[in-house]
Amino acid sequence: MLFFRSEESVGAWCRERGIPRRPILSLDQLWRLAVAWYDTRLTPGARRPQPDEIRRIFAGIGLQGPFWDPESDEFG
Amino acid sequence: MRSPAPPRRSRSGIGSGGVEFDTRVKTAIYRRVVETARAPGVAEIAAALAAPPEEIRGAYRRLFARRVLFLEGDGETIRMAPPFSGVPTQHRVRVGDRTYFANCSWDSFGIPAALHAEGEVHSRCEQTLEPIRLRVGREGPEAGPVVAHFAVPAAKWWADLVYT
Repeated sequence: MLFFRSEESVGAWCRERGIPRRPILSLDQLWRLAVAWYDTRLTPGARRPQPDEIRRIFAGIGLQGPFWDPESDEFG
Repeated sequence: MRSPAPPRRSRSGIGSGGVEFDTRVKTAIYRRVVETARAPGVAEIAAALAAPPEEIRGAYRRLFARRVLFLEGDGETIRMAPPFSGVPTQHRVRVGDRTYFANCSWDSFGIPAALHAEGEVHSRCEQTLEPIRLRVGREGPEAGPVVAHFAVPAAKWWADLVYT
């Protein structure tokens, strides 16, 4: 989960490593993901989200499909 | 019919091996990380909670098993207490007078989100190695020509969390 200056830089980075280009998030999406995941992390009762919660968090930010499914077996 | 066994108690009197004890350990870990900007060792948390180091070590391992912490191969050194990193990374997050290391782009925003504070992220473009600086307010980051690439599917994140 790395920063890049542009989508073109992501493409070049992936090509040089022979790895597929995967989802690219805007800063706004990344922030909303960070808030959904970590907003209560420092409270004693905080816990890691369960798979259904994870799917809901991602879907709320427009991230859906097998790549974002924590239980998907599509990627081997 | 046998009576239920009483809860196991440590010399510190706060019990060990249970969820409550582990929650106290987790809370103490995060408190130290926030205060010092580094991951505390077992001895440090043992002293803070007046508990035997072996009980703290056990809590670290259970928190790892529950994916709350990510430990190094020695089973007790904290590599990640998400969103904080226990080791230096290219993602530094300045909040107030402290600088934290984050595990990834997501966690670099996760630190100001968790602290409910403004911050400034210092990182880099992985392709050009150009420095990236992003101010993060209470409502989110300033706009800028920066994106984040997620190379690993969610189902694979924990299998190689350091690469992810």
